[in-house]
Amino acid sequence: MSIAEPDRPDDGGDDIFAAEFVLGVLPVPQQAAAARLAETDPAFARLVIAWEDRLFPLADGYDPAALPPAVKAALDRRLFGAPVQAARPRWWQSLGLWRATTGLATAALLVVLALPYAAPPPPAADLPRLMASLAADASDVRYMALFEPERNRVGLARVSGTPGAGQDFELWLIRGSDAPVSLGVLPSEAQAYLSVTAETRALIEAGALLAISLEPTGGSPTGQPTGAVVAAGDLRGI
Amino acid sequence: MPPSLAADDITALILRVSLKDRAAFDRLYSATSAKLFGVCLRVLKNRAEAEEAVQEVFVKIWLRADRFAVTGQSPMSWLIAIARYHAIDRLRGRHAPAETIDDTALELRDPAPGPEAAAIAAGEQRQLDNCLNELELDRAAAVRGAYLDGDSYADLAERHGVPLNTMRTWLRRSLMRLKECLER
Repeated sequence: MSIAEPDRPDDGGDDIFAAEFVLGVLPVPQQAAAARLAETDPAFARLVIAWEDRLFPLADGYDPAALPPAVKAALDRRLFGAPVQAARPRWWQSLGLWRATTGLATAALLVVLALPYAAPPPPAADLPRLMASLAADASDVRYMALFEPERNRVGLARVSGTPGAGQDFELWLIRGSDAPVSLGVLPSEAQAYLSVTAETRALIEAGALLAISLEPTGGSPTGQPTGAVVAAGDLRGI
Repeated sequence: MPPSLAADDITALILRVSLKDRAAFDRLYSATSAKLFGVCLRVLKNRAEAEEAVQEVFVKIWLRADRFAVTGQSPMSWLIAIARYHAIDRLRGRHAPAETIDDTALELRDPAPGPEAAAIAAGEQRQLDNCLNELELDRAAAVRGAYLDGDSYADLAERHGVPLNTMRTWLRRSLMRLKECLER
């Protein structure tokens, strides 16, 4: 065991510490210390997993309880931003209905009918600035991010946490179920700016998620996150 | 309750969630949220707080699904662990400012087991029960109480009317005896 842990009990050894952590009986500081150790020490993590599995049959004692639908709606808002609006009828669906009911299909009328549905919304004159507070319970990595559309950049301020040797933090934009889009590797400075391409800029909107993953030096070799997500947060209007 | 999914199906859903597949996330939620809410409700004993907690649990599941594969755990064991740690942390957070155990006594609940959860193998269930039965009654009750209700050493010591250090010794011995029994 290489990491000195002041909160780690010196009696009983790691196996009993893992068991107590899994059971959840420890005082708050020791419980938190064990959670950190489980994140950083693979040997300890294995002991924890073994105890989780050993005691898992006790979970049979938890009675399932139905949740109101509002909880899922709130969860979706939290994770994915505003709910997707009910799809408008496609113009051809309106057209079919219209033809069926009137039988009067002239080209001019069709255009009038289709236009309100087919025309894209006018582009916003100026995009709003957005902020995100990036954190995750199991890590001490915390960043504040600010998207400045007028400067085509995302500013990042480190609150805490740095990658280990041979590792980099990489920032990702995640919209709904789309694959994460890399915004780049975070410079090591506490305050840094990543410039945003026009293509990526079009994807940044309130409710999208910013996430920081731990990657090998230079960033993910695959173009998708390969390491654990160490901090994440929703973009919100200021 | 939606029809329960086999462990393999839940595993597949978690892996898809790790790729940020929202449809998979929705299905995972319908398949497991009642059980995970049951965990939060049992530990927190407050419906509004448990509803909040279960949302946070699913936020963690969404963000940490990529770590599931490396644990080699059964999917429900992994999911229940996330829910338990979170509910217990919340419970302690709620209690922390009080610092005294007396003010925070929780209503006692009937520890009768609930309906079978499909994902828990009957054999493992029986084996753990048998091993718990080898412990003294009150010690087995302490293990169950800690697991299901999120009792801390301090809570358990008070409930069983023994000094905290005695409770710690009891529980540690009980856990080691459980482990030995399960490995027999």
